[in-house]
Amino acid sequence: MPTWFKKVFGSGAAKPVSPEPDVENVIPVEHPPSLEQPALGEPAPAEAQESEPGVRRVVHAPQIMPEEEQSSWSESIRIKARIDPDRTACTFLVDRPVLEKYSAWFPEPGQGTGASPLAEALFAVDGVGSVLIHDLTVRVTKEYTSPRSWEDLAHGIGAAIREHLIAGNPVVADSFLEGMPEEMTIGQRLQTCIDLEINPGIAAHSGVISLERVVGNTAYITMGGGCQGCAASTVTLRQGIHGAFRSAVPQVGAIYDETDHTAGTNPYFKEMPPEMMEDAVQSSD
Amino acid sequence: MPKLEQFELKINTGAGGRADTPTYSINGFPVDFESCEGGTGSGESFRAIGMPQSFPHALLLIGPETGSWDIESVEATYECAGSDSYTVYLGAVTLDEETSLNIWHEPPVPAFDV
Repeated sequence: MPTWFKKVFGSGAAKPVSPEPDVENVIPVEHPPSLEQPALGEPAPAEAQESEPGVRRVVHAPQIMPEEEQSSWSESIRIKARIDPDRTACTFLVDRPVLEKYSAWFPEPGQGTGASPLAEALFAVDGVGSVLIHDLTVRVTKEYTSPRSWEDLAHGIGAAIREHLIAGNPVVADSFLEGMPEEMTIGQRLQTCIDLEINPGIAAHSGVISLERVVGNTAYITMGGGCQGCAASTVTLRQGIHGAFRSAVPQVGAIYDETDHTAGTNPYFKEMPPEMMEDAVQSSD
Repeated sequence: MPKLEQFELKINTGAGGRADTPTYSINGFPVDFESCEGGTGSGESFRAIGMPQSFPHALLLIGPETGSWDIESVEATYECAGSDSYTVYLGAVTLDEETSLNIWHEPPVPAFDV
């Protein structure tokens, strides 16, 4: 565990603090001033009264594929590879659902044995470090010591995914779903982890984590306060939150950060500290 | 974050339309569209161009002043300085007097077939 992480999570804050209210991103939008009619007998106001600026809640629409790009259900499975800008991981977008409702996370070779035939097939590709399967995507990291480039590795991974799906082999074994806790149970356990471990630890940086929802075994969070827009937020997410969540609930699959980091008003780190740079490169899921 | 020179919205309205003309806001400042065509009534299509020429920390389509607006789909095309234009397709969403729609999407990360 890196030193900076122990400082943030290990010792915790001097006292636990209540998490900030779960406020969605709001951008104040000024409304035009309105005229007030004076009461009978009262003099007219010298100038129009301005209404209070309205504050609207920001909503998001789902991104969809244009009709002309949607593939018909055929044996020709279309897969696109998208390499992360920091080149620590590659996401494979499949033109049909790979694993619905749940997400499956395998941090290293051997973890998928018996639990996911697809993960086993991917770990058989030389250089694959970890595998995350969710909905239409398969997200893969490289083994840290692998000399292979993503451009070289991606074609082998794409071929393995296609071959597995065409053969109709199961993506996860029945044993993967057996014993899976209910969504509500997972949510409660994660919330307890946030309240007792994560938020007290990052309170020293004025940070706060909110659990937005759990779908199946997939968790969606937002980062607020000093975490919003912080240059180290990705490392905090991967090394701190992911680890804490998976210790609390081993069945947790994907963990998504839905924070609008561009709206952060007081990020703790405006630039990535040098001591975190190596950790940021090594860890990725 | 690139500098957004211009963007175009093509909005298809579903069952419930809005009576007022849509506007947008960039970084918290409300702005009228440079040009508008079509309508925002039930079943209508609306096309608008905005020219913020700024860095969009927040780009929002403001909901109606009163009532609700059932948006069926949005096709948003962005022209950013120094890069090719790109288009994002959004699905159905309903806006009202308390909501705005996020319409800023970063340029897509390059992807290749495997």
